[in-house]
Formats: sequence, structure tokens, C-alpha cells
Amino acid sequence: MSLLPAPIAAVRPDFLTRVTPVARLVAGIAWLVAAIATLDPIVPIRLTIAAIVALVLWSGLPLRRIPRRLAPLGFAILSLTAFSILLSGTNADRSLIAIAEFGPIRLTAPAVSAGLAVGLRVVVIGLTTLLVFGPSDPTRMADSLVQQWRLPDRFAYGTLAALRVAPFMADDWIAIAAARRLRGLQAKSPAARIRDTRDRLLVMLVASIRRAERLALAMDARGFDSGIRRTHFRALRMTWRDWLTIAVGLAVAVASLVLPH
Amino acid sequence: MSTDDLNGSADRAVGGAKASGPPSIEAIGLGWTYAGRSRPALRDLTFRLEPGRVLLVLGPSGSGKSTLARALAGLVPHVLAGDWQGSLRVGEMKVAQTPARLLGERVGLVFQDPDSQLVMARVDDEVAFGLENRGWSRPSMQAQVPEALRQVGLSGFELRVTNTLSGGEKQRLAIADVLAAQPSLLVFDEPTANLDPPGMYATMEQLAGLARQRKHTIVLIEHRLEAALPLADDVLLINEEGRQLAFAPAGSVGREAVAMLERSGAWVPRAWNGASPTSAGAGAGAGAGAGKTGPDSGHRPSATGAPLLSAEDLYFHYPTDESGAHAALDGVSLQARAGERIALVGPNGAGKSTLLFILCGLRRPDRGSVGLAALTREEEPAEALRDPSQLKAREIASRIGLVFQDPELGFVGRTARDEVAATDLAARESGSGRESRPPDPDGVLARFGLGHLTDQDPFRLSQGEQRRLSLAALVLRPPAVLLLDEPTFGLDRRGTEAVMKLLDEFRTTGQAQLLATHDPRLLPHCDRVVAMDRGRVVFDGRPAEFLANPPYSPGGPWRDGVASNLASGLASTEAVR
Repeated sequence: MSLLPAPIAAVRPDFLTRVTPVARLVAGIAWLVAAIATLDPIVPIRLTIAAIVALVLWSGLPLRRIPRRLAPLGFAILSLTAFSILLSGTNADRSLIAIAEFGPIRLTAPAVSAGLAVGLRVVVIGLTTLLVFGPSDPTRMADSLVQQWRLPDRFAYGTLAALRVAPFMADDWIAIAAARRLRGLQAKSPAARIRDTRDRLLVMLVASIRRAERLALAMDARGFDSGIRRTHFRALRMTWRDWLTIAVGLAVAVASLVLPH
Repeated sequence: MSTDDLNGSADRAVGGAKASGPPSIEAIGLGWTYAGRSRPALRDLTFRLEPGRVLLVLGPSGSGKSTLARALAGLVPHVLAGDWQGSLRVGEMKVAQTPARLLGERVGLVFQDPDSQLVMARVDDEVAFGLENRGWSRPSMQAQVPEALRQVGLSGFELRVTNTLSGGEKQRLAIADVLAAQPSLLVFDEPTANLDPPGMYATMEQLAGLARQRKHTIVLIEHRLEAALPLADDVLLINEEGRQLAFAPAGSVGREAVAMLERSGAWVPRAWNGASPTSAGAGAGAGAGAGKTGPDSGHRPSATGAPLLSAEDLYFHYPTDESGAHAALDGVSLQARAGERIALVGPNGAGKSTLLFILCGLRRPDRGSVGLAALTREEEPAEALRDPSQLKAREIASRIGLVFQDPELGFVGRTARDEVAATDLAARESGSGRESRPPDPDGVLARFGLGHLTDQDPFRLSQGEQRRLSLAALVLRPPAVLLLDEPTFGLDRRGTEAVMKLLDEFRTTGQAQLLATHDPRLLPHCDRVVAMDRGRVVFDGRPAEFLANPPYSPGGPWRDGVASNLASGLASTEAVR
């Protein structure tokens, strides 16, 4: 019995869903490099806008589900931004004008700008990842990496199989916690909590290894990696869409860097 | 692209040998010991199965049935390490001397757990996976994938996500996976064990269809004997040591062999029970103890016991479920009284797991309420029912317990002894120990037949031992209500009897038990059946009424599945009423 429903992103066909995953990966890497290459917030702002446009117009992803998917990231973004602003060394620089002051806390413009740059970069990373991996299922990504980038079969399809069983690990984690609670085991001190988490991880690890062993045997029984050269059910060939995606992706990355601020 | 095509057609040509039809199987003195084990998994099997026949393999847990399946597919000895004895031939191929690649061309193996044999995220990719591995050309795969899906009744499922299929659909998909590669020997290793009754029914229908075609030699390992036996031409009986008891046509198995099979702890088909003069109580290690003088034989489950659990009008909808499907629970009410044993049945997705989680306070219902009471001594007044989500961990532990289908997930100790002591320790630390009886974990383990394993790591025990340990862990502080998720899953007859006997023993304390189960064989041992479907209770009454007219379509799997050779000493409604 599965204790959790496994929601999956329903993708409707759109421009980016028809693009080879490798082409999206190339464009995405260019964006990430551009976002990380500079310290000001302008480049990440431009890329964020570009990513939102691409998500809305061409990704085929159900838009109303995106905020929930990015919610865990949102917390990281907010805390990163806040800490970067608060802890910036320039706040102490009396030669700079403070744009805000709360008692002893003084925030300078360079600090705010650098903090925003850090937070926005994480936003770009999140949105770009969604654009690269969201519009097609993982199988196509693996096929694409194996066929077009010559990644080893065992690595690519092993990862795929692992992805498929990941939801079961989430189920296991919940069941393990439930079992402990119901036996009256309650970790109170921080040290006991750490021990408890370690023990739970250990149990999950054992369960996962057992499952992985069964899966590996099933794959072997179906001739996986038996020395025959593997063929591919899904054809992947670079089309004009792929080249266009790479060209536009690179152009946006370059433009975000070189356009006047 | 073109090299792929050449490769594919070349390998298809190798597979051309398949045209020679289904193979025979011949074992001579076949034995196997896994590396690192001292005890052989299989010993001295000698039989010959003629081409195109269906062989049913019977034996208790640990008898090496799965090892035989693995050997037929070449996983033993080519993938798993160990010591091989004797010989095994599939057609002209000697398994030990033939590369796994060539065996894989002829042999298809379907495993027990659909979730750990499907590899790909999408149905068509899943079927193609085995063909890709064997180097089929793209055009031949494009023709073969829909054909294989059609054979198992999954046409139109090509683009579905495998994780969203039902258990029965997943298992039929696993069958399509092996059929796609056009093997001439099909091996099924307990293909219905993980399935709910509808899934089991669909899978057995599928197997029956394949058996009728006579295009394959088929080896079937299956516990659901009433459905499996009619398909079999021949049977192979193995005992708990992995030794062959008999190989014979299904219709003419000797009395002595059946008696030996029964003694080994295996499930035995009802049709054979008459043949065995010692049926029912026959030497069943665990069952025999219960006998007529068992602790429970005078027990009369009554509707007048104190209420220990009460759920009123529960409603629950998974917040993450955006499919717009029915609520997981849609107005479920349920009461359990002291000493009552209730079977909770229904297909997967009916809401059983959700109900169990809500009953023990691990989830809060959107609407409705749950009340739990602790057991009181006879002279004390019954305790008021309390909401589990308002209780502290130790208060919950005394009121309700949950045993998972996979006992491993619940283990907290490094040794079996720790495991038994842990619950008691937790209760003592929080100062709720009412009586200060000194805990004796070793004594508990001995009573549960685990006395020789006190210092063993719980994760290293067999499936049956793990199940008993998960129950032993509750002994020092038995909860008033015990919820069990598939308590006899994967157990042979002896293991099932052992678990049921322990449950009988627990019940003498006044414990109420709720068993979520797919196994109809347990129903006669329950006082009540609560049947769920799509989040609602569709039946709540006596097992006999349920079995006479199951509220499901098809009801056959429930009606026909009851027969078993469970020891008669166990408390059952037939015995009591």
C-alpha cells in the first residue's frame, strides 16, 4: 500500500517539450553561468524575466503548480537574501549613505544590491532547472544524454530507475517516523533527536538497498548490460527547434551580461 | 541509426531459434548454495518437464522456489554468486554453460513485487526496455511494444506513467515486458502476492490465457493455490530444506508427498486436503500448540466488550492529490470493542491505509472524530474515548499500535532483545509503567519461537521471523487496539498460523484487532468484516455474510480464496459459533 499519492507534473505539448533535453540543458547551463558570473542584481533580474516568459509561453508546464514546486526554494531565497544584506561588510562603512536604519542596524545600498543579487541568483537557478527538466519526462533526458552525449547506459538508466522508486522512499520515511511515534519513542533532547534521525536514516537506507537489489536483479533478468549494444526505442535527432533553443538561450545569456545596465 | 538496425536484425536472427517452440526443462541433481551461506538453497532436484506444459512449484518459505526461478533465467549462476551442483537444461541450453544473454532470449521472468521490477517512467518505454537491452531495431520495437500491451489488455496505456497504474495493471505490464521479447519459457515467481483481489484476479486470468495458448513452457510459483492449481499440468513439491518431495502430474500426487508438504509448513491446495490423512492440525509446529486447549478456545468475541475505538464520519482528502478523484475517506464510521477482531478489506486505493493512519492519530481527518480508550482491569470502569491527536506519545502507545506490512520499517533495536525491550523502556522513561513487573525480553522471544535469535540483528531475520518479532515487540506493553497492515503478507501456512496464534494470545488481554488484508483465508478467523471501496464502508458484518455475497465485482477471488489448510485450532468463527 502506498501511503502517499505521487503527484507528477502533467505537461501539455508545447515548444520546449518538443525540444531535445540536451538542447535545453546547453541553454540552461549558459544561463546559470551568466547568473553566477556577476555580482550585481541586474543580470539575474533579466534572466528571471526571461525564464518567466519562457515558462509561461513555451514550457507546457501547468503554471498554477509552479509556485508550490518552488516553495521550499522560496524559503532559501528569502533567508539567503536577508542574511546577505544584514551581514554585508559595507553596512559598517560610514562613508556610504544608509538607505535604511533600524536602531543599530544600518543598511547601505551596496549591501542591499549584493543581497538581492545573491537571492535572485537562486531564483534563476530554480526557474532554469524547471525549464531544463520540467518539460519532458526523465526518460527522455536519459535517452538524450546517452544518445547525444554518449553517457554510459548503466549510469543513465540506473539513475532513471532510482528516480522511479524515489517516491517509495518518501513513503518509507513517513512510515518509519510513524512506527517510532506509535511505540511511544519520543526524542526530547537535541542529542536524542540527532540519534533518532540517524537511526531512521539507517532503516531507510536498508530498505532502499533491498529495493535496489531487487530492481537490479529485475533489470539483469531483462538483459540489461549483458554485452549487447543497446538500441533505443525513442528516436532523438537535433531539429531546427533544438538549434533555435540553443541559439536563443545563448543569446539571452550573453545579452543579459553585455546590455548596458 | 543504421548500425542500430544492423545490430537489431542480427540479434533477432539469433532469437530465430525460438521458432523451435517451447523448450523442455531437465534438472539432474540440481543444487545451489548462495555465496556466504552454509545451507544450500536447493538440493538435488531431478525432474523433466515436457515442452509446453505448466509446472506449479509448491513449498514453504525458504524452500528455494525463487532460486529455481532464478536458475531457469540464468541469474543463478551468472549474476548471483554461489556454488552450483548438478545440471539444468532449458531446451538444448545447459544453464551453467550458456551465457545469460542467450538464456535471456528464451526465458522471461516475472517477479513478485511490481514496484521493484518496473524500470521506466512511461509504459511504452517500460515494455521497450528489455528489447533495447537485447538490441532490437527501432521498427521492430515499434511494432512489438503495442502488440505486447495488447496481449495483456493494456492497449492504449502507452503514454501512462507507470507509477500511476494499479497493482494489477503494473503486474500485467511486467508480464507484457517479458512477453515482448518473445520468450518460449515463462517463469512467474509469486506474481500475485503483492496484489489486491481485483489485481490478483486479472493477473491469474492473464496466466490462464497464456497457459491455454500452449505456446510457452510455464513455471509458476504461487501461493494462491485455488486459482493456480487448475492451470497446472505438473507439480513440483519442495520441502523447507530445498529438497524435492515429489514431481508428478497435478492430478496424481501421492498421499505421502502431500503429507510431507503439509508438514513442511507450506500452503496445500484444498483439493488435496482429503488425500492427506493428517490434514489440518498435522504437525503444524505453530498451529499445533493452539489445539483445543489453546488460550483462545473459550473466547467468545462479544459485541458487549468495552468500546476501545470509535471513529465517526471520517472525511479525508489528500491535499496533494490534484487529480480531482474521490476523497480518500468519505464518511467512514467504525467501532471496535474489547476482544473483537475485525478484517478491513477492499481493493488498493479504497482508503484502508488512510483510515489506519487517521485512527492512530498520524493524520487528522478533515472532518469527523476518532476516540481511543486504554484497556482497564475488569473492576475498573471503562475509560472515556479520547482524541489521539490530543494524546502524548506514551498515551497513544498504550491505546493503539500499528504493525506495518514491511516490519523492517518499524524496527528500532540493534538486536532482537533490544527490539522487545524498547517499547517497555519508552514507557518506563516516561513514567507510565503501572505495574513494575521486571521485563523479560528473552522470555518473550522464546515464547515467540525466537529464543535462539536474541542477539541477532532484526534486519537479518527471515520474513516470518521479522513478522513475529514485530509482534513480540508489543508484548511488554500490548496496546488496547492493534492495527495490522497485511499481517500475513508473504508468509507460508506455518508463518501465517504462527502470526494468527500470537494474535489469539494478544486477544485474551481484551485487545481489539483491526487487520487490513487481501487474504480471504484470514476472514473466517475474524469476528467482523469491514469492507471499503472508494473511501466508503460498503459492508460491515459477519465474515460468513461477506463471503456469501462479497460487495465487489468480481467477488470470486474472495469467495474462492478462503479454502486453506490453516490449523483448525485457531480461533475462528466457525469454531466459536
